[in-house]
Amino acid sequence: MSFFDVKGRAGRGVAAILFVAVLAAPTHALERGSVAPPFDLDGTKGAVKLAKHQGKLVYLDFWASWCAPCRQSFGWMNEMQAKYAMQGLQVIAINVDEKRDDALRFLSSNPASFVVAFDPAGATPLSYRVMGMPTSLLIGTDGKVISEHIGFKDADKIALEEKIRLSLGISGAGK
Amino acid sequence: MNSGFDRRPGKHADLAVVAILCALSGGCTLLTPVQPWQKGTLARPEMTFGGDSLDLKNSEHVYQNREAASGGSGVGGGGCGCN
Amino acid sequence: MSNSSCLRLDETSTTVVPVTPPGLGATILAAALILPGIAPVCAETAPERAAIGFKYLDYKDSQPDLDRVTARAPSINVVLPLGDAWSIEAGGMVQDVSGASPRYHTAVSGASKFSDVRKAGNLGVTRYFPSGTLTLGASSSRERDYESQSLSLQGSLSSDDRNTTWTWGIAGADDTINPSNRRVSNEKKKTSDVLLGVTQVLGTRDIGQLNVTYARGQGYFSDPYKALDNRPRARGQTAVLARWNHHFTSTEGTGRLSYRYYSDTNKIRAHTLSAEYVQPLPYGFTVMPLLRLHSQSAAYFYVNPVYDPVYGSPFPPGYTFGGNGYITQDQRQSAFGAHSYGAKLSKQVGRDLTLDIKVENYQQRGSWKLFGDGSPGLQPFYARIVQIGASYLW
Repeated sequence: MSFFDVKGRAGRGVAAILFVAVLAAPTHALERGSVAPPFDLDGTKGAVKLAKHQGKLVYLDFWASWCAPCRQSFGWMNEMQAKYAMQGLQVIAINVDEKRDDALRFLSSNPASFVVAFDPAGATPLSYRVMGMPTSLLIGTDGKVISEHIGFKDADKIALEEKIRLSLGISGAGK
Repeated sequence: MNSGFDRRPGKHADLAVVAILCALSGGCTLLTPVQPWQKGTLARPEMTFGGDSLDLKNSEHVYQNREAASGGSGVGGGGCGCN
Repeated sequence: MSNSSCLRLDETSTTVVPVTPPGLGATILAAALILPGIAPVCAETAPERAAIGFKYLDYKDSQPDLDRVTARAPSINVVLPLGDAWSIEAGGMVQDVSGASPRYHTAVSGASKFSDVRKAGNLGVTRYFPSGTLTLGASSSRERDYESQSLSLQGSLSSDDRNTTWTWGIAGADDTINPSNRRVSNEKKKTSDVLLGVTQVLGTRDIGQLNVTYARGQGYFSDPYKALDNRPRARGQTAVLARWNHHFTSTEGTGRLSYRYYSDTNKIRAHTLSAEYVQPLPYGFTVMPLLRLHSQSAAYFYVNPVYDPVYGSPFPPGYTFGGNGYITQDQRQSAFGAHSYGAKLSKQVGRDLTLDIKVENYQQRGSWKLFGDGSPGLQPFYARIVQIGASYLW
């Protein structure tokens, strides 16, 4: 029967692709506790070095102008920077657009009150093994990765802020 | 079952499916995987296979009612007695 | 219909589609079972904004010496996100069709005049999972002489790196036919469809897709308004669709190429090639020229316009009256080639509104069939399509 022929054919295709998928080397995100890879990038206000922010809790964000949820995350990151700067939080957002103009256009309609750096070559997201856009990491005062988060939705805000508070040693309700 | 279904729907189709699936899947190992931060171009709406859904629907409807062939891009949608 | 975190934020499109849509990694089978538990890579989420789209289609076809069908069809579509994980889509259209249709071949005399209104609606609900989507859809179409109801279920799954997406779909339709000439009454047609597809990112500027669909139907497939039409009561259709999109860095334009091979149990084989090129222009304009080529062989029971010397048209030589052999004299079941060309121009107004207009010229000729001769003795067929549209995000 033709109907089952289709299934059979599809089955062979699935098998072939499965086989290939198994061979493909999986990429893993950076593990908790590993040392955050250093970077030295060009930024909106001069050079941006991770080392310069040692001793602070760093919220490191990878974003692009074409990434829809990134727009949502900007407002929230501004809010976090303002709220927890005194307690030692530093938000660093690394842009991965190929063209800086695209990033600047995004920034003009979504102003950032935190540190913004540019990495058009993509060396930093590679060293951080970024697996989705946007990706954010919390890096402790000791320069080690505390946690990682992929994507950004409204529903993520509470948990992300809670992690920041916890890492800053602030207890009690978030808002 | 009606004898009409005993025919295989074309051996050419069989071969084409297998060949293209193999090419696509085999290609995966040859292709350098595109990293999440390299997908700015792929994220452009015109690079996707969807797009203007009403436009696609209208076009498909027109062709489907003037030619004998249909299918390939989706399922469902219902028929009409258009002549 | 679905959106993903990897999606380009761009107000020019009302319908948001996953960039590197779903597909599977090493764990295709496991993934299917534990779908919601997969770690998000760039999670599938509902569209961030609601969208409404409107189109008005103006269609007119003809052959030399006969204006055939005129159709006008406004249609509307709304996509509403419900939180991060759900969206609903609803659409509807009203199609006003009138004109004349040849009773056999392209015969002008005795063409049946008709006028009808078709109303159709569809509703879909999509659930977004970290690595995929699931959509349940229903649609309904109603004309005076034809009613159709269908249900569909479609799903997609992405690989961990989002470079491969698998899609599948099943659908069933239940049609009832009550022609105004009462040649038959309350006839049925039941169809079921399956789809299996894979979308693969081929490079930073290339993406490919391969779909296979199979449909089988039982019931009344004849055209009650054609003089002698009698078609098999079962039909199986297979289509293999291959698509490739490429972005040209030099022009910032995108080429979209697609090829479909079609084959059915009526022995029709068809090749359809289409090419589009999307070019963004200054001031929010985008122009898209398009070209489409189609070629098909005839149904095995299609008969050429050669008529019996005694009974004359539409009876083929040696026609058995009262027999029940399969026969069709429908131009659509003949062997022909079709060429179509056109262009779509769109203009983005502000951040949320897009206006568009599309014009297309379509032509069929027996002599344009590829790989062999087309059916002889038929008039060429022309169609002119104009469509205007607007879409708005809020």
